[in-house]
Amino acid sequence: MKHVNRQELVDFLKPRLNARFQTWIEICAHCAICADTCHFYLAHDRNPSMIPAHKARFLNEILKGKAVPDEAYLKKMYETLYYECNMCRRCALYCPFGIDVGLLVSLQRAMLHNVAGLRPAGLEAAIENYRQFGNQMALTEEDWVDTLEWTIEELEDDYPTLEIPIDKQNAKIMYTVNAREPKFYPQDIQEAAIIFNAAQEDWTMPRVGWEDTNLSMFCGDLTTSKKLVENTFRQADKLNAKQVAITE
Amino acid sequence: MDFYAFVEGPLTWVAILVFLVGIVVRAIMYYRTSKKTDKLIHKYFSLKWVLATYVKWLFPANVTFKKQPVYFLLVYIFHICLILLPIFAYQHIIMWEMSRFGWSWISLPAGLAQWMTLAVIAIGIYLILRRAILADLRILTTAGDYGLLVVTILPFLTGYFAAHATLGTTGFLAENMQLFHMLSGQLMLILIPFTKLSHMVLFFFSRGATAIEFGRRDYSV
Repeated sequence: MKHVNRQELVDFLKPRLNARFQTWIEICAHCAICADTCHFYLAHDRNPSMIPAHKARFLNEILKGKAVPDEAYLKKMYETLYYECNMCRRCALYCPFGIDVGLLVSLQRAMLHNVAGLRPAGLEAAIENYRQFGNQMALTEEDWVDTLEWTIEELEDDYPTLEIPIDKQNAKIMYTVNAREPKFYPQDIQEAAIIFNAAQEDWTMPRVGWEDTNLSMFCGDLTTSKKLVENTFRQADKLNAKQVAITE
Repeated sequence: MDFYAFVEGPLTWVAILVFLVGIVVRAIMYYRTSKKTDKLIHKYFSLKWVLATYVKWLFPANVTFKKQPVYFLLVYIFHICLILLPIFAYQHIIMWEMSRFGWSWISLPAGLAQWMTLAVIAIGIYLILRRAILADLRILTTAGDYGLLVVTILPFLTGYFAAHATLGTTGFLAENMQLFHMLSGQLMLILIPFTKLSHMVLFFFSRGATAIEFGRRDYSV
């Protein structure tokens, strides 16, 4: 595990503490009202350490100098942030101050990723794929176009006129998918194509920028996140599409 | 000038000024920081959502109240008494009348004020005990949480003792109760801008910001 000192964590947090975050970590009244709004708390027999407000404690500990970010501390932080909160933000609906622990967890995850280099292995693999291939399943452009083509060929008997327009200019809708679809569930793409054709929509699927998942956001890797969004919108601009639709 | 006169005079003004300037500065600081760091809140600012959320949460018209009505009713009473008593206790208004400003306004009936004071003390003690007993609260609680509860209750406890001579009229404590009352009140006023008690003003910003974000997405504000 990478060695981290507290100052590095503080340096990461300081410029990212916006007015809301600063206020939230200061005024949280520790009233525990958020406790049973959390499904982790309820699923763990009302274990107090699952209280949402408790999951934001690392911020105060680090900023106030109470934390010693050794291996055990980082591990505890990692487990809390990834396995005890999925940032559903339900607690925020019940907090009298409107404190959004989901966003505070997101900030802490970003700190772990960017400073300590910690994130789940699966996420790390997906991010590597995003960076190299622009999608989480490591599909090349050739794989992608190939999949679209054979997927339609399979439907030839039932839908002889069906086609997926690839990189069509000036279409109304540019349709994007989850990379798991071309990889594991091409029937989802078939179904979308059938619907678009039946509805006689003016649509297209792009050669690049077609990936609409953005898992890098889950660990606060905003560089990769930004790149993915840019890929999609750059292509939409290039094709002069009016709307970008994402898969269900 | 003896110590009593100092506490009653200059120190009181200092405390009131620190409190007033402090909360105004906190509000300005939030506004200025958020202009730079929370652009979305300003971009999507909607008075409708902000006012709706204030009404919902300043009155018992929210989901959380329904979840724990008894606790929340007590907390509402605690806050109402906490705010009204220092402003409308007739003993305080007399002080304002005698001050250089000569201001005067309507006061709470003495009997009601007495019950309100007891309510603050009783609910305050209940909040402390709850914090000490319940596992959910214990894991979140810091020394500061207890400290601020004590700071909040003390002016009311000493005020009650001073007004009713509960501890008699002799002895160090009883003879100086007025002094302790002023000191504890000043401590609380001075601490408001610098501690969690700043939620007195920051509540409105925090609540408002979340309402703007939730409101535009059609969630409950």
